[in-house]
Amino acid sequence: MPLQNRCGTGAKGSDVMTLRGATAVVGIGHTPYYQRGESPESELALCVRAIVAACEDAGIDPRDVDGFVSYGADHNMGAKLMPALGTRELRTSILNWGGGGGGIPGCLNIAAAQILAGQAECVAVFRSLSEKSSGRLRVVVSEENQGPQYQVNGIGTPIQYIAFRAQRLLEAGVPRSAMEAIALADYYHANRNPEALARNVVLDSERYQRSKIISEPLRLFDCSRESDGGAAVIVMRADRAKDTRKTPAYILAAPISAAQSFGYVEENHGRGSGQPAENFEAWNFHTVAPRLWRESGYGPQDVDVAQLYEHVTAGAVAALIYHGFCTRESAGDFIRFENLIAPSGQLPINTSGGNLAEAFLHGMNLVLETVRQIRGESCNQVPGAKLSLMTGGPSVGLASSALLGSEETL
Amino acid sequence: VTHTDLTSPDAQTFSRDYAFKKHRIQSGIASDDRFWEALEDNEFRLPRCAKCGHWIWPAVPRCGECGSWDIGWELAELAGHVFSWTRTHYLFDRVRGRAEEIPYVILLAEIPSAGGARIMGVLDGDSSINPQIGAPLVGIIRPPSESANGYPSVNWRLAP
Repeated sequence: MPLQNRCGTGAKGSDVMTLRGATAVVGIGHTPYYQRGESPESELALCVRAIVAACEDAGIDPRDVDGFVSYGADHNMGAKLMPALGTRELRTSILNWGGGGGGIPGCLNIAAAQILAGQAECVAVFRSLSEKSSGRLRVVVSEENQGPQYQVNGIGTPIQYIAFRAQRLLEAGVPRSAMEAIALADYYHANRNPEALARNVVLDSERYQRSKIISEPLRLFDCSRESDGGAAVIVMRADRAKDTRKTPAYILAAPISAAQSFGYVEENHGRGSGQPAENFEAWNFHTVAPRLWRESGYGPQDVDVAQLYEHVTAGAVAALIYHGFCTRESAGDFIRFENLIAPSGQLPINTSGGNLAEAFLHGMNLVLETVRQIRGESCNQVPGAKLSLMTGGPSVGLASSALLGSEETL
Repeated sequence: VTHTDLTSPDAQTFSRDYAFKKHRIQSGIASDDRFWEALEDNEFRLPRCAKCGHWIWPAVPRCGECGSWDIGWELAELAGHVFSWTRTHYLFDRVRGRAEEIPYVILLAEIPSAGGARIMGVLDGDSSINPQIGAPLVGIIRPPSESANGYPSVNWRLAP
């Protein structure tokens, strides 16, 4: 049954209560980004720094944060953060299960729902990584996500099963150049972001094509880096958001979805149930995106700028196709470097450099950039951006996407 | 060691010193012990709902189609076609036993006679070949090996 598009705070009776515009991101904060293993501080310390920075950005007291939401396998549960933050009362503490990529924007959904239900007032959504504290991320992720069916067959990283999907995208006629365009756009934006780890790495087509092959069809520059650092955002009720220091970025929708026959199914997703084989590549974007547009009341044609989770470029290509920005047939025309860069591209993407070139904080840095674009604070600002998208996935388990908007989009 | 019908109730108490259990990989859904046991017995068995006939894969404790808990492990045809593939050129941490095989091709095979279940396996053959999606495959069963992290494995060959 279609959901009504209405402001959450006004929903009554049998009407479906939605989150649309009920809450906003009011603060963003992050630590410096470090190469993996080079953080001088523990993962928890990075997490505390990121949350405090987000509170300072919003102009609120860190002691007032009463909710904690993270994803993937983050170890920094709210209870561990309380002593350093001076938390007055912890009222909610939730981990959005699922691989890092898929769960990120959905954390905004969880924060908004808790606030709308009166169970929290000020929720921090965060992710923090330090190799010295938690081990090498690619190993941790592999241990978590890849059971024996993968490891027995030589698959020791998500890159390799994303390669299965990339191969089928190519088979379906999506050109190789689409993946390259994602990588080039990421690095172009990173070169204009003084905080990006790859700020001095110039990537052109020749360097991309010469880079070593990791797992066909994916090359080194198709893959995200591994980084240390912490990043956080603060979510509050929309009416309280107006009293904070910065322009609120309203949460219009942030659905989470794993479609029937998906979930943790070891490359059997989309099998049976009469589904088209194409759903293998769509990887839950085909169920997240319709809800995102329905719940927000907007469509892909309205979006000004997008942050696409790309632990691998092919995932971002799939996100664009299955959120309706292009089709598999038109992907080659749409997903071109010129079209993806700020300020003038038709849809600038990953304007801070993304997972490939800014830093890999399991994608949390993309949430911050989604907010900056609404505020007009990006290093690669899209002039007048009002609707700012973040897509999360593909990964193991589930996908989620979030559409944030300025006040006039409500 | 005598071979027991793994679908019979006796199989519940059937015990053999299976090699993979000494190298257990503790992640995933962890309902596929019978798959690995069967491979060590040189059999390819997949779980199938005894009530509705649904080929359940990956292995899970209950048939999500009809709700039955009665799941048998049937001999399945070790043949299918290429659903997707990748050739890995980099030696990743958790699969270091593959060092001598770099680059190696991993196939995701679809088995139409088992409800389209998709089974991963390394290519047995010339690793410089680009498999075509849809190309027919036949499988072979490899005993537990270091390259497969102490587990038995299915390898796929391109059908002649």
